Amino acid sequence: MYLYTLVMKTVISSEDKTRLDFKELKSYGGLFKNLSLRDVMVRYKQTWIGFGWSIFRPLINIIIFSGLALLVDKSKSAGEQFITVSAGVIFWQLISTAIADVSNALSNNTNLLTKVYFPKLLLPLSSILVCIIDFAISFSLFLILFFVFKGLPTWTFLFMPLVLIYGLLFAFGFGLFFATSSVKYRDVKFILPFLLQLLFYVTPVFISTTYFMNLAIPEFIKTIYQINPLVQIINAFKWCLFGSFEGFQLNYFLISIAITLLTLWGSVRYFLKVENTFADFI
Amino acid sequence: MTSDIAIKVENISKRYQLTQNIGGGYDSLLGSTFRGLKRTFSAKNASQQKEEFWALQDLNFEVKRGDRIGIIGHNGAGKSTLLKILSRIVKPSSGRITYEGRLASLLEVGTGFHGDLTGRENIYLNGSILGMTKQEIDSKFDEIVAFSEVEQFLDTPVKRYSSGMYVRLAFSVAAHLDPDILIVDEVLAVGDAAFQKKSIGKMEASSQNDGKTILFVSHNIGQISAFCNKGILLKQGRIIQEGALGGIINTYFGTDTAKEKAEFIYEHTAEKTYCIERIRVLNTQNVLTKNFAHNESIRLAIDIKRQRPVSDVLVSVFFNDMLDKRLFTTQIPINDKFGNTDSLSLQLTLPSHLLTANTYFFTVALHVPNVQVLDEHRNLSTLSIFDNGSDYYKYQGIDMGYFFMDQAQWEVKH
Repeated sequence: MYLYTLVMKTVISSEDKTRLDFKELKSYGGLFKNLSLRDVMVRYKQTWIGFGWSIFRPLINIIIFSGLALLVDKSKSAGEQFITVSAGVIFWQLISTAIADVSNALSNNTNLLTKVYFPKLLLPLSSILVCIIDFAISFSLFLILFFVFKGLPTWTFLFMPLVLIYGLLFAFGFGLFFATSSVKYRDVKFILPFLLQLLFYVTPVFISTTYFMNLAIPEFIKTIYQINPLVQIINAFKWCLFGSFEGFQLNYFLISIAITLLTLWGSVRYFLKVENTFADFI
Repeated sequence: MTSDIAIKVENISKRYQLTQNIGGGYDSLLGSTFRGLKRTFSAKNASQQKEEFWALQDLNFEVKRGDRIGIIGHNGAGKSTLLKILSRIVKPSSGRITYEGRLASLLEVGTGFHGDLTGRENIYLNGSILGMTKQEIDSKFDEIVAFSEVEQFLDTPVKRYSSGMYVRLAFSVAAHLDPDILIVDEVLAVGDAAFQKKSIGKMEASSQNDGKTILFVSHNIGQISAFCNKGILLKQGRIIQEGALGGIINTYFGTDTAKEKAEFIYEHTAEKTYCIERIRVLNTQNVLTKNFAHNESIRLAIDIKRQRPVSDVLVSVFFNDMLDKRLFTTQIPINDKFGNTDSLSLQLTLPSHLLTANTYFFTVALHVPNVQVLDEHRNLSTLSIFDNGSDYYKYQGIDMGYFFMDQAQWEVKH
């Protein structure tokens, strides 16, 4: 029993929001849960194999790209190549679908932007759960495969949760920038798939960093390659599984973390700045 | 202690820049970059290129707790913009609004409904979008379901619902909202009439029992006068009158210049399957007019264009009085009338000696009964009928009703 009813006071003004209102976000927890569940329930509705797709999609990529990797990089055995490429592809699937889903979260929900108020950050946030569930399914199958081929992973496996959080933070920050700009500029919808395709090839998803570093290309390209957060994140993921961090250099790793945090901070600020104008542009 | 002011609006203005393609357009990244470059090099033109439009200008008002305010105004008066600002969907350009308590806005019913989800899932999703907590939805779930009359189909995806069922379910969730302040746009104008009445009744009951504050926008003045106790009249983004409803309704109809015409031409949009192209009000000499003698026939010439055929289309014309109470409706099915073309010209003649001297509005609608409205033009023109010497002439100033009842028979019985 409450003796006093708490009366909430709200002020609407023309000022921009500059700071995340965590208290408000928290009070919308129920909506966050329902939006996340909606995305999960809807993704494989009316599909024949349902969540089987979260295994089937990466599986096809694994088969194609382990074959390609074998052709390109002959330094590893077929089994070795298969398990490394699997790890890369499964993790890439998580990161790239998270980026894509986050970036579409606003333009796919235009009626929610124009008809009702809630902290709009919930839309991109809630679109991530479905990616994590997809990943959990394909990753658990991968782990079985891993035990068969390699036995138990090394102690570095304990860092897996941290690496996943790092990866998702990057995906969210990167995707959020595209989500925000896509409200005003539709071009973004065409740029992102292309960009993701490109990133697939210049990150160690199936072509290893060692192989890339040995290519006869200018040094500065290799530096750019190394400070790309995605390269570091994927290598960190592989490090958790296999115990060796390809081409690890502390300064590059720290730079990539800095870039990730900066992207996240910038995107959230950009988002908050224009959040209240979405309805004017849709 | 809380004050008795629920909403306080201070100096609210909203400006749109017309060059920004509001509403329809997405900007292109390249386009805006070019414009940006152009602006840097020719700074002097920058201000001239922008055209400003003030949707709202310097609004000030207070709403007391428990008030039910009807917001009245013609299209473009700024009603929707005001509701959107109050609902925190768009930001004001300047000014400040403070309100106390939980506010829920219903700018449409079924916001966030997902066709692939079942009725049950959508109740939870829609409820939480409208601001209900899980516990609230849990506790009202059975009530919502019973109210919607779709129990049987609760576990069917809503995309398989008939449009009537869909709207009923959406409505039911909305009708069970329980905020301190409720903002309602014309959403109540959908669904079948019986159900509409039930939903309005439900909202009315909860507002009167709990002293809920309500802001209500409708084109239906009758609905507003039945539901609200105060009004705000907007015109071109400004408040021109507020307070008692009666006076506001009079001003609303009196200052109406947009309704002076007797010919209405509409552009058709691609998404409309059927549309009304032109409506003319004519007298027996085929002259456009809006003034008629009581012993003169009124002709409405209606031109309709069909883009894609739909079955069971009716044209309805109905007449309303000043209070928006409907007096009569006349309708005709038109599907078999098109012949080989896609356009149709209809003429409706109302007999002379039918309506008494008064002012009337009429509405022309194209619809499929109980399914959808294809095109509609509401409360078009003020048709004035003057008395050209009827039996009622001598009672001028006394309300004699709306109709001459010529068919009524008087007999002397012995």
